[in-house]
Amino acid sequence: MPPRNVRTVVTTRIPAGRDVVAFVLQDPDGWELPPFRPGAHVDLYLPGGLVRTYSLVNAPAVNDRYMIAVKREAAGRGGSRLLCDAIEAGDEIGVGLPRGGLRLGPEPQVFIAGGIGVTPFLSAASALLRAGRSDFMLHVIARGAPPLANLISPLVAAGVARIHDTRAAPRPSLDAFLAPHAGQASASCCGPQALVTGFEAATAHWPAHRVHVERFVAPPMTPPPDARSYRLVLARSGEEIEVEAGASMLDKLTAHGIAIPHSCCGGICGLCKVGWIEGEPLHRDRSLSPDERRKSLLACVALSAGPRLIVDL
Amino acid sequence: MDVQSLIASPAEGSPPVSLSFVGVVRFLHITPRAFLPMRAMPAITLVAGRGIEGDRYMLGREEGFYSDRPEEGRQITLFEIETLEALRRDAGIDLRPEDHRRNVTVEGVPLNHLVGRRFRLGETLLEATRLSVPCRHIEEITGKAIFDPLINRSGLNCRILSGGEVRVGDLVQNL
Repeated sequence: MPPRNVRTVVTTRIPAGRDVVAFVLQDPDGWELPPFRPGAHVDLYLPGGLVRTYSLVNAPAVNDRYMIAVKREAAGRGGSRLLCDAIEAGDEIGVGLPRGGLRLGPEPQVFIAGGIGVTPFLSAASALLRAGRSDFMLHVIARGAPPLANLISPLVAAGVARIHDTRAAPRPSLDAFLAPHAGQASASCCGPQALVTGFEAATAHWPAHRVHVERFVAPPMTPPPDARSYRLVLARSGEEIEVEAGASMLDKLTAHGIAIPHSCCGGICGLCKVGWIEGEPLHRDRSLSPDERRKSLLACVALSAGPRLIVDL
Repeated sequence: MDVQSLIASPAEGSPPVSLSFVGVVRFLHITPRAFLPMRAMPAITLVAGRGIEGDRYMLGREEGFYSDRPEEGRQITLFEIETLEALRRDAGIDLRPEDHRRNVTVEGVPLNHLVGRRFRLGETLLEATRLSVPCRHIEEITGKAIFDPLINRSGLNCRILSGGEVRVGDLVQNL
């Protein structure tokens, strides 16, 4: 199988607040890593098949590392516990290509972070300061000392961040953060769902392009308009696989442990050619002849027009 | 440099129709592993029969995206700078020399005509084995929709017959 992710080594592991551990991931030879936008996130491929997504903390200009900060969630699904309890400097972690991130326009920026949600904005703040900009304000809302306090305090000293300790005083209203900037600034929020919900309400009257919410989930895949879900039946083994609308047949087969050779993944090279027996494939490839299409399909791009497709596997 | 191969049988392994060109090496790039950015180099070292020192597809290193299918004829890859210009002109796509992920960006070399031929890259001797094929992997890395525009002009895979150092500015010539 081709490598599915970037090979990195944990070069630093440091405590970064209560129940928070920061990790620096680098190429084994210190080579530059794939570029990213400020506040982009990456998938970490952890031992045991766990995949977890974390925002990058460092500025894109520091391009030989990915720094992440992980809050240990005792009652979580296990990814943060594994990272905080078992991953040490020197361990290897596969990392997916960076996704998402903030598009920082020329207008002033307001960032509102709840707790560990500060991570993408530290990357953004660092990028803005490097660009000579100080027309932004990072509000960090935390119960007690915030995570990554040592990275936030220089921003506070520079007058571009404020820490709101909800143990010391009630949380100021989001309107107080946002109202002075309505009309000219962009606003972004990352944090617990209650904070995000409040933020969305407070910015409901803002133009959509100037409001950004950072969620830790992959952007939804847009299936082609003719895509439908279907049942893929493997004639030889009798196995049946549900394929969601627009999902890749090749990926589904691979996930079921059926190794199909593949290369271009764009319907040209023909390596993933599979025979089909019954059904109505939507071919979408650029290399099979009409004759070939009568009995074969390319699993990397083919969809199904009907509810059931039987392939010769 | 294997001078003997030049003198003894200049046309061996090449199709009979003659092809004359003098091009130039404009950029050189390598990367040690799949997904990592390509790094521009002033010079690279070619090892006959194996690949480029420090590059992911050096045979025996096997750290490229396609290294699970080792290919003896993919020791070094070339790309035409004219394709980058055409993408910008015809499709409005800004693809830079470090984006196409081939090792050598050349100017004035008709790469698609070289399959099955031998030619000089600086002091080294290459044999073109097949055209490169675009792949979705490159769209994943660059975030640019370049798969379709690169069909049939995605570069050339070569075997290194005689190694040596190749520098930016070196000439690329037919035998």
